[in-house]
Amino acid sequence: MRDTEYNPLVYFIDGLVTLFNGMVVTWRNLWRPKVTVRYPYQRRPVPPRYRGLFYLKWNEEKQRLNCVGCTLCAQACPTDVISMVKLGKGTHAGVSEFTMDLGRCMFCNLCVEACPFDAIYMGPNYELASERRDASLFRIADLAQGGEEAVRKNIETIERLLAEEEKAKPAHAVHAAGGESE
Amino acid sequence: MIEAITQFFKQYPLLWTFVKAVVLASFTLVIPLAVIYVERKIAGFIQSRLGPLHVGPQGAFQTAADALKLLLKEDIVPEGADKRFFYLAPYIAFISTVLCFMVLPFAPGWVALEMNVAVLFIIGVSLFNVVSILMAGWSSNNKYSLLGGLRAVAQLLSYEIPMVLSVLAVVFYTGSLSLTGIIEYQVKHGWNIWHPPIMIAALIYFICALAEINRTPFDLPEAESELVSGFNTEYSGMRFAFFFASEFANNFFITAFAAALFFGGWDGPVLPPIVWTFLKVFVMIFVFMWVRWTPPRLRIDQILRFAWQLLVPISLANLLFAIALGVR
Amino acid sequence: MVINVGPQHPSTHGVLRLILTLDGEQIVACEPVIGYLHRGLEKMMERRPYRHNIPFTDRLDYLAALSNNLGICQCIERLGGVEVPERAQYIRVLLMELQRIASHLVFLGTFGTDLGATTMFLYAFREREMVLDLLEECTGARLTYNWVRVGGVPDDLPEGFGQKVLDFAKLFRQRIEEYDMLLTRNRIFRSRTQGVGVLPKETALAYGCSGPVARASGIPYDIRKVAPYEVYDRVEFDVPVFEDGDVWARYLVRMEELRQSLRIIEQVLRDMPDGPVQTKLPKIFKPPAGIAYSRVESPRGELSFMMVSDGSPNPVRVHIRAPSFVNLSVLPRLLEGAKVADLVAILGSIDVVLGEIDR
Ligand code: SF4
Ligand code: SF4
Repeated sequence: MRDTEYNPLVYFIDGLVTLFNGMVVTWRNLWRPKVTVRYPYQRRPVPPRYRGLFYLKWNEEKQRLNCVGCTLCAQACPTDVISMVKLGKGTHAGVSEFTMDLGRCMFCNLCVEACPFDAIYMGPNYELASERRDASLFRIADLAQGGEEAVRKNIETIERLLAEEEKAKPAHAVHAAGGESE
Repeated sequence: MIEAITQFFKQYPLLWTFVKAVVLASFTLVIPLAVIYVERKIAGFIQSRLGPLHVGPQGAFQTAADALKLLLKEDIVPEGADKRFFYLAPYIAFISTVLCFMVLPFAPGWVALEMNVAVLFIIGVSLFNVVSILMAGWSSNNKYSLLGGLRAVAQLLSYEIPMVLSVLAVVFYTGSLSLTGIIEYQVKHGWNIWHPPIMIAALIYFICALAEINRTPFDLPEAESELVSGFNTEYSGMRFAFFFASEFANNFFITAFAAALFFGGWDGPVLPPIVWTFLKVFVMIFVFMWVRWTPPRLRIDQILRFAWQLLVPISLANLLFAIALGVR
Repeated sequence: MVINVGPQHPSTHGVLRLILTLDGEQIVACEPVIGYLHRGLEKMMERRPYRHNIPFTDRLDYLAALSNNLGICQCIERLGGVEVPERAQYIRVLLMELQRIASHLVFLGTFGTDLGATTMFLYAFREREMVLDLLEECTGARLTYNWVRVGGVPDDLPEGFGQKVLDFAKLFRQRIEEYDMLLTRNRIFRSRTQGVGVLPKETALAYGCSGPVARASGIPYDIRKVAPYEVYDRVEFDVPVFEDGDVWARYLVRMEELRQSLRIIEQVLRDMPDGPVQTKLPKIFKPPAGIAYSRVESPRGELSFMMVSDGSPNPVRVHIRAPSFVNLSVLPRLLEGAKVADLVAILGSIDVVLGEIDR
């Protein structure tokens, strides 16, 4: 379709014809269904793999969060988003605090892939913008499935289990604690 | 009642003209609101969007809201601008448009100023637009505006010539310089557009009209992606609103003028004449918008080459053709 | 007259600044100023373990994040001698080509608006949205996908993904026809692009241009053909090459690549074997000391990564060869003697992404 020499009349007629062609296309599109999603009133469905706001999985059976505070996710994160306070140790360990500073999160999914306990996931919520600077800081109650309530139950369950463990074999536990501090 | 009022004003012709001028000026301010709204909607639909939706039913008051916003905005004058010209430019643009409306017949008898040389008057007055654009581009003290202004002048002047020639073809063909006369001729002899020389004249007129109102593919003076916004880059608030309003009122006017010249003005069956005028105008405005949202824009040298190498000779030849056929 | 185009200008596609010396509407000289987006990515990468660097590459060429992911992953794989399962290779190629379509559609849309055809922009973005929806379904993100890992891809394709891609391909073929009707064949568009900004073959070679810019100047250089990676040697496709080197040729190359990408996608979906998608790697990945260099054909040209390892968990040196950077360097040559109005056409046709240039 490369052009030959410039000829005003040929160009003019060609211009009209091709313009008309283009107008056929725009005419067709005039009647096509519109693609606008009227955002605050309508929302697109979010696919299951969507990488939005994180959540810590609640385990209904065990009445606790899945997270054991192993810090693997924090180590996998390139931008040091995650910090946590571990609660107890051994088989019943958990977290009492789990903070994510999403202001520097890239939503890259590396932490989710790193977690061996299926404890952290990314959910469908993408409306994270805020006017407040500290709104990017998400604490455990904001992240846990079930919120405040879940966190309370989580700590309760873990503390109960830890206490039971303590009672069952106190000597061993003391020994283990001693061993760790060396 | 209305009779009485008209009778009263008829006694003071100057006052009567003044009242008509005020009514037309407000009409010139209001009509852009409608045109801009329609334009936005059509652009939206063509582009698979919905256009404005939230202010009023289907977003109908969106442009009014925008105009209000513009009026309330701070009026910024760039440092180093030539203040006098900078202030004056938008009003000149606006006034030239209002003056054009003054001689436009909407329906039999519905004309602010019956003038037997209306066509000449329109051609002369609409050239003020060029002056205002040059003033705006020059006085803004902005290089982009200057480039936009220069382009605009080169383009508008080049396209004014074939446009005038094609309008003259109509004038010679119908043998009248008054718009009312031209329309009445068409009421008697059928619309001008069906006559061969006028057909060509109409085509040329349409192309030139696109250039006159700065529509794609001739929207160089305000080529957004090159010159930011061309001659009105530095304008804000109310002055910008005036430029904008006069541009869209111009859009309306140029189609109304075309309706009078080629499509028989108010002529049409069943519906009242005023409805026919508006119907024709809006159909043409739709076509203009449809064209606007289709092709890319030309380059300045291509635009000028097109005007001088093709449109001017064709319209000249066509004028002779029309004269030959029109002489009775 | 000297005018400053950018860093805030509608047509510089990011924060590029051009200092133009004008003679009327003619451009006498042009000096690009870059660096407004500099983040020191290469240095940042040297401070982090290998696999932590993958998400950073999303921010290089943000219109083709997956190509960058693939580039760095290939480099790390070469460094560590990691094998990639076959299915993962097919998935990678599939995603790369979807990415190429998305990226070229951005080019098409922005190029259209630059020349004044605003409607083209919305049509191109409408179709790009479909690609993004597909990619979102597969990767979970819409722009910064981060969906290639050392040793494969993180997860298999979702259920029914292949069929959706095929449906899209079918629709998109018709849409390309529409673009042709609306833009490619348009007289004005052709007048605006043909013979404008001619890049001779020698200049293109001398400056090291790659990708569509080089191919439009008659250099049949496509990494997918000259040094096939993943499974590109198993699929059939043509590399469009044009001799003229003007804006029009660069546009046509990209349009043709859209069609070729569809072809590749269809073949890949047909041939894709079953199997694992990721090789298990140790938690702390320490490749042996050495240097690795990898190159991929990103939508903008030859994108290469070089990494030096000394056996520790972090790379010692990372270098990125960004195709946009190299392609942008010919801009002053192309602009000499062009008109101001051609500036946007020429700049648009090079299709630069500033994130990649400034790194
Ligand atoms: S998504 Fe990426 S950046 Fe965000 S917390 Fe997880 S690993 Fe860190
Ligand atoms: S979320 Fe997973 S990886 Fe992170 S500390 Fe909890 S269990 Fe470990």
